[in-house]
Amino acid sequence: MKPTPPRTISRADDLSATGHHLLDRRQFLSRTATGLGAIALTNLLGGDGLLAAQRPAVDATRPYAPRAPDFPAKARNVLVIFCAGAVSQLETWDYKPELIKHDGKPLAGGPPVTFQGPAGNLARPQYEFRPRGQSGKMISDLVPHLAQLADEVSFIHSLTSKTNTHGPGENFLSTGFVPDGFPSIGAWVSYALGSENQNLPAFVSIPDPRGVPQASVNNWGAGFLPAEFQGTSFSAKEPLRNLAVPAGILPASDRAARSLLQRLNQRHLEKNPDDGSLAARIASYELAARMQLSVPEISDLSTEPAHILKSYGADDTSNPVKVAFARNCILARRLIEAGVRFVQLFNGAYASGGELNWDGHNKLKEQYDKHAAILDQPAAALVRDLQQRGLLEDTLVVWCTEFGRMPMFQKGSQGRDHNPDGFTCWLAGAGVKRGVSHGRTDELGRKAVENILSIHDLNATILHLLGLNHEALTFEHNGIQRRLTDVHGHVVNEILT
Amino acid sequence: MRPVFSPAKWLALLLVSAWSGDAAPLDAGSPTQASVQAVKGRDHWSFQPVKRPPIPETLDTKWARNDLDRFILARLEQDGLRPSAEADRVTWLRRIYFDVIGLPPTPEQVMAFVNDERPDAHERVVDGLLSSPRYGERWAQHWLDVVRYADTDGFEVNTERPNAWPYRDYVIGALNQDIPYDRFIREQLAGDASAVDAATGFLVAAAALLPGQIGADDISKRLARQDSLSEIVGATGQTFLGLSIGCARCHDHKFDPIPQRDYYAIQAFFAGVQYGERPLRSPENDLRRKEIEEIKVRETQIDRALSRLEPMARASSQPRRETNARLNEEIFSPLEAKFVRLTIHDVNLHPTLGVIEPCLDEFEIFTSESAPRNVALTSLGAKVTASGSHTSESHRLEHINDGQYGNSHSWISDEPGRGWVLFELPEKARVGKVIWGRDREGKFADRLATAYTLEAGLSLDAMTTLISVAPLRPAVNPRQTTDRFDPVVAQRLRLSISACTSLQPCLDELEVFTSEPEPRNIALASAGTKVTASSTLPDSPIHQLKHINDGVYGNANSWISNEEGQGWIELEFSSPQKIDRVVWGRDREEKFVDRLATDYRIEVADASGKWSKVAGSQDRQKYVAGDKKVAAFSLVGLNPGETKEATRLLSEKKALEKKTLALSTGLMVYAGSFTNAGETHVLHRGDPEQPRDLVGPAVLTALGSFSLPSDSAEQDRRVALASWIGDPANPLTSRVMVNRIWQGHFGIGLVETSSDFGHTGALPSHPALLDWLAGEFFRSGWSIKHMHRLILMSATFRQSSRINRASQAIDADARLLWRFPARRLDAETIRDSMLSVNDRLNLKMGGAGFNLFNSRGGLNGFPPVESFSNDGLRRMIYAHKVRMERDSVFGAFDCPDAGQSTSRRRPSTSPLQALNLFNSRFTLEESEAFAKRVQTDAGADDGKQISRAYQLAFGREPDSSERQDAEPVLREHGLTTLCRVLFNSNEFLFLP
Repeated sequence: MKPTPPRTISRADDLSATGHHLLDRRQFLSRTATGLGAIALTNLLGGDGLLAAQRPAVDATRPYAPRAPDFPAKARNVLVIFCAGAVSQLETWDYKPELIKHDGKPLAGGPPVTFQGPAGNLARPQYEFRPRGQSGKMISDLVPHLAQLADEVSFIHSLTSKTNTHGPGENFLSTGFVPDGFPSIGAWVSYALGSENQNLPAFVSIPDPRGVPQASVNNWGAGFLPAEFQGTSFSAKEPLRNLAVPAGILPASDRAARSLLQRLNQRHLEKNPDDGSLAARIASYELAARMQLSVPEISDLSTEPAHILKSYGADDTSNPVKVAFARNCILARRLIEAGVRFVQLFNGAYASGGELNWDGHNKLKEQYDKHAAILDQPAAALVRDLQQRGLLEDTLVVWCTEFGRMPMFQKGSQGRDHNPDGFTCWLAGAGVKRGVSHGRTDELGRKAVENILSIHDLNATILHLLGLNHEALTFEHNGIQRRLTDVHGHVVNEILT
Repeated sequence: MRPVFSPAKWLALLLVSAWSGDAAPLDAGSPTQASVQAVKGRDHWSFQPVKRPPIPETLDTKWARNDLDRFILARLEQDGLRPSAEADRVTWLRRIYFDVIGLPPTPEQVMAFVNDERPDAHERVVDGLLSSPRYGERWAQHWLDVVRYADTDGFEVNTERPNAWPYRDYVIGALNQDIPYDRFIREQLAGDASAVDAATGFLVAAAALLPGQIGADDISKRLARQDSLSEIVGATGQTFLGLSIGCARCHDHKFDPIPQRDYYAIQAFFAGVQYGERPLRSPENDLRRKEIEEIKVRETQIDRALSRLEPMARASSQPRRETNARLNEEIFSPLEAKFVRLTIHDVNLHPTLGVIEPCLDEFEIFTSESAPRNVALTSLGAKVTASGSHTSESHRLEHINDGQYGNSHSWISDEPGRGWVLFELPEKARVGKVIWGRDREGKFADRLATAYTLEAGLSLDAMTTLISVAPLRPAVNPRQTTDRFDPVVAQRLRLSISACTSLQPCLDELEVFTSEPEPRNIALASAGTKVTASSTLPDSPIHQLKHINDGVYGNANSWISNEEGQGWIELEFSSPQKIDRVVWGRDREEKFVDRLATDYRIEVADASGKWSKVAGSQDRQKYVAGDKKVAAFSLVGLNPGETKEATRLLSEKKALEKKTLALSTGLMVYAGSFTNAGETHVLHRGDPEQPRDLVGPAVLTALGSFSLPSDSAEQDRRVALASWIGDPANPLTSRVMVNRIWQGHFGIGLVETSSDFGHTGALPSHPALLDWLAGEFFRSGWSIKHMHRLILMSATFRQSSRINRASQAIDADARLLWRFPARRLDAETIRDSMLSVNDRLNLKMGGAGFNLFNSRGGLNGFPPVESFSNDGLRRMIYAHKVRMERDSVFGAFDCPDAGQSTSRRRPSTSPLQALNLFNSRFTLEESEAFAKRVQTDAGADDGKQISRAYQLAFGREPDSSERQDAEPVLREHGLTTLCRVLFNSNEFLFLP
């Protein structure tokens, strides 16, 4: 990875003398909980299994301190563009000319019943495909702007999921497990690597302007990891809760309260010297105060020039949802720019008969026309903007969705049912080959047939690009050294540079 | 006492053999299937029988207060560590209050204890706290964390489980009553065998997919079933045995001696367990059910009486006559009259006040001559009377016929929405026209009569109706709308919707009543009625066509069409029936008002198939969203006698509904439901599509050989398993539980991994102490409170938490307990303590949870409640726990999300915690309440206020420098600012 200048918000207050003193004294840390002292005890008790080994060792007093990866990383940041509701691979990236020929015919040997009920006949892609860029990759007219990125991207056409239900599917994509309650990939990454920017959360999740996705907070939750690693959720429209000085509190009173609290805690600490958890709490109020400055600053898009707003489509007053999503895209870029480690950007909200997300069961074309108009230009502009600023060199961009859709229409409808057996995602940026496609579904796009990959493989690859061995990143929970990739996962080396 | 556990009796005989022998019987069971690894692991420490270790000798013979201390001290001495000095009395008291009941002591309790010189002062506190109902509320939370209890289903829809809370209350009650732990286990696994239904909430506490969320294909269904059984197996292993049995679903356990076959043998004990609600049995509930039945009978009578008073629908689609605020001209066939009367039945709605008194500025009666004269004028000798008049300078009855127009010369009735005026002409006249207005100057358009009757005649006994504009029926109502019409014979009935307030229309129930003296709802599917619809929203478990006539109300049991703004439902009755009433609603539970049908018509077809319209929305008032002024039952158009009758019925009905609601809480419980146990197969790679050998219920081969025949009755299986787990000879059960208790007091167990006593788990820091405690536990008759008492009365617990650098260098985490490990309070304790300090804590126990969110999911998601009152000020364990959605303020303080089991909360420190606690509306409101309390207690004096605030928050007086810090803040920024700071201080937030 090339050396890059530090990317931090300029105007941040420093830690107070106390905060520095408490947190930076190595000697002090060695005595605090889970610091070196704990290791001393392990030796003392002489038991191999007395204290379950955690990878990595997190200093509880400095959970956000940057931690080294296992090996040199290609990517410093990750941007996930998460399209909720299961985007049809057949209407976007996975060109199936055979399906055009077989339009209206039954699928021989196909499932009689799919997720929602009886299957209908095969249905041709609802959009025209045409070759794009130098690679000539066939991409549909549904996403003309994103299609222009064809030469920048590695497509994976052979992903599979373990479930055909949205919520569990989103859990699986974001946490590596189908049930509720497992840590999200962003939380794993924060846990592994800490934060690059001490004024902003390490992991920010930006919900779609229309609402939260079906698995909601699971997508950015900490699960059984310590709560400090959960994603912080805010968007260009919805500010972070409890960030602002509350209405009705005068700034002078707020300052007086802070300084009294500081003195009170200081005196208390003097009575209870050497207690790292007390010191960490004092420091957390200082971090909070810095976030009160840096989060509004980063969310304030008024400094963005007109041409940038225009390129993202944030000036398209005819489509307010697109404008709101475009603003989220700009926010995502600003977060990456400021060194936020993991940014999750959602496109699509909760179950709504396909009205608010990509769940095209009934009126697929009609609804996709609306959804693509929101996604396409802003998301494409985001990738281009990252590229133009040189950020794509150490930022990994992942476009993904929880599963794909069937080549048949559902019986009596104009839409496709859930299909976890073969769908597409793409990666771009740091460490990723440009303009290639990996894996293949059958000629009708029903199932992955070549280089079949699971979500575990995708997640293993993301961790790999961050310099992390997915088998070594573990956390003990109820008797199991848990991993993001469970007991599976292989890095997809074929698409890596 | 509990009824005798009959199935257990015979099982006990069987079990004797299962536990005979010392260590785990290597030769027992059928280890042939077990892998080498699995067999090898049986020598693991936790699988060995609990020994009774000797009490260690210590160099220091004075420090120990009980045997427990001797184990701790001996271990400290081994490494040259010394215990810390005793904590002062205030510290110990605060510590034990937070620890045992999760609330701080009041200043008065502190004073009383500090001054209590009796030798058993400590013991009195311990006993007092353990017998407080607050104890169960605090310690149940530890258990619920492990059980991953929540009041919702989890996953994408996260629907509420409105009746899950009896399990939460069961745990609180069980702890408060100190029911023996073996019984606690038995009741949670098989409480249905002893009529403790709620306890089996344990079995189904996990998140579960609802039927509609599971794919329609069989593969998806089998997978979902297997996943839900896995949750039960996993939870049972972790909770009671501290073993990750769940790991062996797909393959032999990698580290512990649990072959894959054992996993399925354990699963076979649960093969008949289903997720869902069941009636909660108890004598009290039986009485309540009976009472509800009686109320229902009366409610039906009331409904019947009221339905006779519902305005009749007019099927005609003829446009209704609109009235005009300025002027209305009524022309009719001329007739001889001495009297003319206008009766107003209804008015338009005032934009803010709703239905108010009608107003007429002038009323003119014209003769049918070539030059018509207004004979109503008082100046010509006409006399006017009225139903009643609201009199002011502008409004007087005399104004109605004084020849002057405008609001300031008008009449206003004294009754909202109605009234009449009667003119007696000076002499009989041939009249042909009436003109009336509300304000001919055009300034006012409210108070306008919209429905009325105009009559004229020669005497009051012989009036002729000249014009009649019937009142509009009330607007559609999201809760319930009734359409009454003349009796008609119907074979089929169709409700067609052509507009609704948003999205696709939703109906929760459609009812059709016969016109018999005892009307029956013949729409019910159970009455043989078939239902079809234009379309139904796909992919939804809660919105299905069959819900339209299943007799169950509410959004969660409703139908939604799949067409924007329209849709129809058609019922076909089993035979033609005479009907006169249709009742439908959007959500009888009144939680949802969107998707409401506003434009509709109802048609019926007779046996010959001829359709005719019987009712529709055309004669209803316009629906105004959110308009609460429109009553469910309208009195418009009723005469005084009917009005009185309807009012009486309505108020009786309201009282009954309230009573039913109170009686219905707690009748059902989300707990285990049980069906015949199906076959259990070993599943290759855990995949239900790859079944292998059939297995019967059997315990873990590493621990015993007990098994049941494959055809054992469902309940017997769980009873047997519970007996095996709760047997004192089981080496894991007692160790795991005493370790959980230890963890609750010291923050970390003797075994750090409290749900994993297997090979990957941590070794105990004090193995002998763990065994001594385990033995003490079952010797005490499995008394949890006995264990608390031992720990709380110990010198170990009484130590100061101050850090000693020399000791810290050796044992940073104080795992050897050279000091009491201070730590941040749990989320619930912080919230409860803030409310307690304010004197605002509502100590109401049990029952349905209060809301932390303004809506319970659905399209609105979970927007947090920001300002709490009444029930919202109850202890946090009584919050309606939404799985995966953490409370917006306290969730960040490591509240488990109930997704996976939380064996121990790892306290984290984050800026989000600081932001929430410093800036949330909750903190601000509670700071204000705190300030108010301090003011009430201490009066206006600054010094006294500071003292009182410190006493309440910290249980002590401020020192002089603290006073100096606080005084200027108090003076310049007010007491609330000081209180906000105290709530955020480390001293308030830490267990000392």
